[in-house]
Amino acid sequence: MANKTVSFEIKRQASPDAPAVWESFEIEWRPGMNVISAMMEIAGNPVTADGHSTTPITYDSNCLEEICGSCAMRINGKARMACSSLVDNLEQPIRVEPLSKFPLVRDLQVDRSVLFENLKAVKAWIPIDGTYDLGAGPRVLPQEQEASYPLSNCISCTCCMEVCPQFNEDTNFVGAATIAQVKLFNNHPTGRVLKEERLRALAGDGGIQECGFAQNCVEVCPKSIPLTNTISDISRDVLLQKAKDFLRN
Amino acid sequence: MATAQSPAATPQRPIVRSGVKPLRAGEGSSFLWHKLHSLLGIIPLGAFLLEHMLSNFEALKGPIAYGEQVRFLNSLPMVRVLEWVFIFLPILYHACYGVWIWLRGKSNIVYYPWAGNWLYVAQRYTGLIAFAYILQHVIRQRFMGVSLPEHPMEAFAKVQQELANPWMLAVYVIAMIAICWHFSYGVWLFAAKWGITPGTRARKRFGYVCVALGLGLAIMGLWSIWAFVGNSASSF
Repeated sequence: MANKTVSFEIKRQASPDAPAVWESFEIEWRPGMNVISAMMEIAGNPVTADGHSTTPITYDSNCLEEICGSCAMRINGKARMACSSLVDNLEQPIRVEPLSKFPLVRDLQVDRSVLFENLKAVKAWIPIDGTYDLGAGPRVLPQEQEASYPLSNCISCTCCMEVCPQFNEDTNFVGAATIAQVKLFNNHPTGRVLKEERLRALAGDGGIQECGFAQNCVEVCPKSIPLTNTISDISRDVLLQKAKDFLRN
Repeated sequence: MATAQSPAATPQRPIVRSGVKPLRAGEGSSFLWHKLHSLLGIIPLGAFLLEHMLSNFEALKGPIAYGEQVRFLNSLPMVRVLEWVFIFLPILYHACYGVWIWLRGKSNIVYYPWAGNWLYVAQRYTGLIAFAYILQHVIRQRFMGVSLPEHPMEAFAKVQQELANPWMLAVYVIAMIAICWHFSYGVWLFAAKWGITPGTRARKRFGYVCVALGLGLAIMGLWSIWAFVGNSASSF
């Protein structure tokens, strides 16, 4: 008797300019199987469901446990992490496509460097470099740690940007992930030194004002980061910063 | 040529530079224009909407009370300046910039049919209905036919005549609901986006307040419309 199988349809594209084609694959079912393990298996034995040999599929992945943020893709139409998408919970054939808002590299791999550029634009770091030992940092109260911890969970998967109706090439919106990191670093007693610069950065074109509060980001976030709360808080901070700048200049 | 291969010594993967651009940190003035759009929706437009709804409610007391209300509004100091600065120009800006915001958003309700996403789409359609309605409403009721600033007592008859057309009545009913929806969700959005309700529970509670506000206004508005069509026999 034939073993139980799982069927996949994968959107293939050999290069950014090549035409997109769908290929079907059928692999043996295993208990607890997730989409990323299926991708690995298909890449290792690239034979389509009708027995044709094809090129190995390309995709990003690393940790396989929803910590690194690499394997975000659209699975049955929705952006999510391939590692935490269990095959048993998905309708078959499982349709796997690359994220749609980022430049395609090949197959399921996209270039998400815009997020890294955005994090640089808002100085999402804590400046501790000096010419001498700066000593121990200030104490972070437990309450502050508790408020910051959810924000520090961001894995840069860009799902929040993918599902955002405002994140596109017309608005060039910065996206929820970057705004959450602004809050994280503004709340840190040492990171706070760059607070005003970060807020001013977020008032630039493509900044926080482009948010339409459709709230898709918070729905989709695999790490359950309170993104809408953060956008609300940081919107207020940006507005107050702009008002202060206007009145004090 | 027939044996063309991919170049063996491509130095490195080409850097992809298409797609959504990174944040232009601190550049441009779109922040100001967005916030102006948002603020104008509450003050003066929201405030004017409340005034208009209350004035319409006078119609329930009959043509004379309604006419007196129109006369009072037209007797305000510098009323023509007030009209342009606090009503016409803000509406025009709010509407045009709103359409611009709409055109730049890319709705994905098909893939993500979630409540907030629906409301995001609804805010755009109700806004468009409101704009189209208000344009014809202002042209036909303010700038065409009997000049109400000069003949305020004919206000009731003018509206009654307009609503005698069943198609126009349908337009008014639909627009009334769309505008109340757009305003009440707009208030909710304003509170969320200006950092007044940063908490999930606060937004939820304020959501109930806004639903009550929207329902209250819509009922008031529809009731006022009823005053012009329901008892037309007894009005004169």
